Amino acid sequence: MIELIDVVKKYRIGAYEVTALNGVNLKVDEGEFVIIMGPSGSGKSTLLYLIGCLDKPTSGRVLIDGIDTSKLNDRKLTELRRDKIGFIFQQYHLIPTLTALENVELPMVFKGVSKGKRMRRAEELLELVGLGEKKDRKPKELSGGEQQRVAIARALANEPSILLCDEPTGNLDTKSGKVVMDIIKRLNVEEDVTVVLVTHDPSLKVYGDRVIRIRDGRIVDAG
Amino acid sequence: MLVELALRNLARTKVRSVLAIVGILIGVMAISSIGIFGESLKAVVLENFKDVANEVIITPDYTHGYTSISERTVKKIESLPYAEMVIPVKSTSSLVEHRGKRTYATIYGMDLEKVKSLFELKSGNYKGCLVGSKIAEFFGIRVGEKISIAGREFRVDGIIREGARFDINPNYAVILPMREFNRLFNVEYSMVIVKVSSMDKIDAFKRAVERVVNRKESKVSVLELKMIVDRLKKVFSKMSLFLMAIAGISLLVAGISILNIMLMSTIERTKEIGIMRAIGAYRETIMMIFLLEALVLGLIGSLIGGALSVLGGYAIDILILKTAKFVFTPSSIFYIVLGVSFGILTALVSAMYPAWKASRLEPIKALRYE
Repeated sequence: MIELIDVVKKYRIGAYEVTALNGVNLKVDEGEFVIIMGPSGSGKSTLLYLIGCLDKPTSGRVLIDGIDTSKLNDRKLTELRRDKIGFIFQQYHLIPTLTALENVELPMVFKGVSKGKRMRRAEELLELVGLGEKKDRKPKELSGGEQQRVAIARALANEPSILLCDEPTGNLDTKSGKVVMDIIKRLNVEEDVTVVLVTHDPSLKVYGDRVIRIRDGRIVDAG
Repeated sequence: MLVELALRNLARTKVRSVLAIVGILIGVMAISSIGIFGESLKAVVLENFKDVANEVIITPDYTHGYTSISERTVKKIESLPYAEMVIPVKSTSSLVEHRGKRTYATIYGMDLEKVKSLFELKSGNYKGCLVGSKIAEFFGIRVGEKISIAGREFRVDGIIREGARFDINPNYAVILPMREFNRLFNVEYSMVIVKVSSMDKIDAFKRAVERVVNRKESKVSVLELKMIVDRLKKVFSKMSLFLMAIAGISLLVAGISILNIMLMSTIERTKEIGIMRAIGAYRETIMMIFLLEALVLGLIGSLIGGALSVLGGYAIDILILKTAKFVFTPSSIFYIVLGVSFGILTALVSAMYPAWKASRLEPIKALRYE
């Protein structure tokens, strides 16, 4: 379960202070599929990164499964990301020097999973996203849609309970986007993975259980 | 997997990696080659002292009032362990004449059989009276001619080759057989030269002298030539170290170039660092990836450099010392290992700051970096 309490996030950009989030309260239940929508600059990505423990709020609290992330040090936050959270980014963010298989293995390397075990799991996951045959290809030898599917496989490597998606279809054509979204939806339904997905593509609304609208750092519609 | 990642990162910027390796290689080669050369130089110089290194000079202990060494003490010294050859020496100064020319010289009385082990002759043989080359030059004397010592005539049987010793200056010496010396002068022994069976037995021999000869009173003092040789060794080691330090500057430059390329990669790979942090890499893991890359650069450069330094040492030795016989010695291995270790260390130390910097990147900022 994810819970945000009075979350404020301010950035300094040069001499200016920008308030990205201004008192956000939000609760996402286990197994829920939540879609966060809003115009660019509304703070939706900031919200996602705060949930993903990649950033800390200026004030307020972020709770992941009841754990107050503001109380965790960098090491504990890293472990929380590694074990509970899977990320999917708009730019896929695969490591260009590693093959598809190795990219999927990487989070397990960080966790200390043994070579044999992590290779088996990585193969299974690539199979799951339909890329079993292309496991030895480097990211640049894959299409955008395929890269995003590798990224999904990687996000699932350590069996996270939460999947955070930042515009996952933003760089994909409609067809590839649908394949990606179908996989995410299937994980949500079959594996009970909590999904928080940020987009400004209204056509994705159908996948969510709830749509949250955000504007100028505030939630204007909690769905 | 992290090692593979490091290797592939290095392969990504091949030219850069190769240049960094060449830098380390040159640095290691410079250090090791010069180390090998320094050791060879030391060996060449010490070779000249090889014969005296195991010698000990026993003189009367003047501070305790002894001005000579008695026959009894000499006998005692002869009975000591590790004394391979004992050469008692009597000496006095006396007037020497030849065809109206006269000078004062130090006259030594020694067992001529043993003189062989101390001096080489320029001409003549070890039979009766031996004179130093400078004395011979002064008188314009040759083997077979006569000189007068303290009023008695002697045939010159040998002229000593020019040389240098710490105890007796052979160039100005006049050496007589002990029997002849005793007929002329009534003095006790002025010193005893002892050849100890091996260099590492010198301390044991010295202890024996203290125990047997100096038990009641300090009659004699012991000067080991090894000490002088050791001093020389130290001087050469320092010089060698100094040369290596200069060579080390090239390694320093190589280190700076590694620092530079690593800083470049941290910037180029900011986004990747962010991704890895996002999917669960600890700060230390990021640091390790960078250090591994430096380690690979350091290892490859150092090992090739170490191997090539044998050639380098060989070349410098041939060029300056005209001999390469000291290149293939255990000490060379030491300098190669030293150079290689410094090479690897330099690479790692240089990567420390970039690795640390990479590990401190905030994941969110790194991810958003364009």
